[in-house]
Amino acid sequence: MSFKVETIAWRKWLARWHSPWNETGLAMLLIAPAVAIMGFVILYPLVRGAYLSTLNYSLLDPAGPTPAYLNNYGKILQDKVFWESLWNTFFFSGASVLFSFIGGLLLAILLDQNLPFSRVLRGICLIPWIVPFIVVGFLFTYIFNFDVGVVNYILRAFGVIDSNQPWLARPNLAMTAVITANVWNQTPFYMLMFLAGLQSIPSELKDAASIDGANPLQVFWNITIPHLQNIMVITTILMLIRNFNNFPLIWVMTQGGPIYSTTTLVIYIFRLAFSDFNFGYAATVAVIWLVMLMVMTALYVRRFEREIAL
Amino acid sequence: MTPKRMRRIIKTTVLYIITLVIMMPLLFPAYWLFSSSFKTNLAAYMTPPQWFPSPATLENYANLTVGYTDFITYVRNSVITCTATAILAMVVASLAGYAISRLRFSGKRPLLLAILSTQMFPHVLILISLYVMYRQLGLINTYLGLIISFTTFAVPFSVWMMKGFFDGIPSEIEEAALIDGCTRLGALRHVILPLVAPGLLAVSLFSFLDGWNNLLYPLTLATSVEVRTIPPGLLLSFLGQFKHDWAGMMAASVVVTVPVMIIFVFLQRFLVRGLTAGAVKG
Repeated sequence: MSFKVETIAWRKWLARWHSPWNETGLAMLLIAPAVAIMGFVILYPLVRGAYLSTLNYSLLDPAGPTPAYLNNYGKILQDKVFWESLWNTFFFSGASVLFSFIGGLLLAILLDQNLPFSRVLRGICLIPWIVPFIVVGFLFTYIFNFDVGVVNYILRAFGVIDSNQPWLARPNLAMTAVITANVWNQTPFYMLMFLAGLQSIPSELKDAASIDGANPLQVFWNITIPHLQNIMVITTILMLIRNFNNFPLIWVMTQGGPIYSTTTLVIYIFRLAFSDFNFGYAATVAVIWLVMLMVMTALYVRRFEREIAL
Repeated sequence: MTPKRMRRIIKTTVLYIITLVIMMPLLFPAYWLFSSSFKTNLAAYMTPPQWFPSPATLENYANLTVGYTDFITYVRNSVITCTATAILAMVVASLAGYAISRLRFSGKRPLLLAILSTQMFPHVLILISLYVMYRQLGLINTYLGLIISFTTFAVPFSVWMMKGFFDGIPSEIEEAALIDGCTRLGALRHVILPLVAPGLLAVSLFSFLDGWNNLLYPLTLATSVEVRTIPPGLLLSFLGQFKHDWAGMMAASVVVTVPVMIIFVFLQRFLVRGLTAGAVKG
């Protein structure tokens, strides 16, 4: 009996959800846990990070933090390593995106040709992308090893180099090795995105163009590329930002070395904080980097906004 | 055979060869990873390299289980923390995703934009503050601390995905249930939940994978072996004590990769759909 009364009351209460005010109330209730978690692990740490950047805060200093006001920010201007890391970040990301883009596009076009077993081929192509970064790092540390690495052996066999190269121990070579590993890992992602784009082109469009006398190259330039444009821009920006923040791959392969040659900003910030324990300055570099990212993110979101109905 | 058919076969063959040649650089390192894991460590050192493992051996895999790298402990820790993260993110995200997809409330757009932009935040900045916070709260070297840190990625990402999954269910289905006398909660349980179940699974698996692959957070927030997860565990083992045990390193790598592959086979369709949704539309 009492159960029934309760049920009715409960139903009445539920019925009120249909009024707009209660819809808001319910929405607030439902998003509260997610917002609370994000507040604790993202928003608050960001604010706290901004605060840390105004302190002289070394974990090694028993006296504890002292205010530094904006001194840390002044220090950045003269910090050569910061500028080198910034350059490395753009170089690493730019080169990775460029080569993966080209490789991914080529593969996507080839796999779009209805070759026998193309689904199987596509599946196999995705393997590098699934491999966790730590494994990519291990694998390419092995492959690029000075003594036993297969890269040195193959390049020598083809006569490209005369003697084994210390890939991970020489600045320019180390950057090349890290970028190679990264390109290997993410080319499949571009392939996947471009293939999805290609397959969404109505085949009537291409057929019509062919009937009208367009050669395959003209079809490619005038129909395929414009159709892929959106997806190309989105993929590029998305992957640029991902690469900007790639920590594990570089850390496993070189830890940012030799010297600072593969130190991107993320690696630099990590080293400042967890090797030098200079938390104040690490936070400062991180804040500057965040601001730069926000500007780039704003571009991304603006671009993205048109495609997805928010 | 007609010349036309002949031409087609030649064209297909040529295209096929070109495809395979371009795929080679993608396939070879993957092959190298697997094949080296079956070599003896001596063979992994050989120049010229051994193209096929001979003799093929499972000793590298067996060695992982005898505890010389605490590998089993790392796996246990990864499974515990990643599973907890996945469940937490799934529950929280399905509630929020439903609200964002189905209910009208002010502030929805800024919330969505904020969620989207968290995907671009450098986690290292969050880590610096988290580390300071964790030291004060005693969360360093705890499962709870790791789980919380993993949610920095998992929760916003899952909310975003869940919103998409709920959007994919026509609201007419829900309205029909309401008209038939279902309560909103009843409709949610009997109509929406079964439809969105694959989405829930996909979202949990994504969160799981992110924790599984995460190196940055556990490297700093879990410094003791007892709570250390796989990525930092392997890194510290193979860049330290067991440096140059290449075959062992590859075997451990395979063990870390295989669960990801299995999950991925299931996730593939969601992945392609989720990532390209909207992007392809235009």
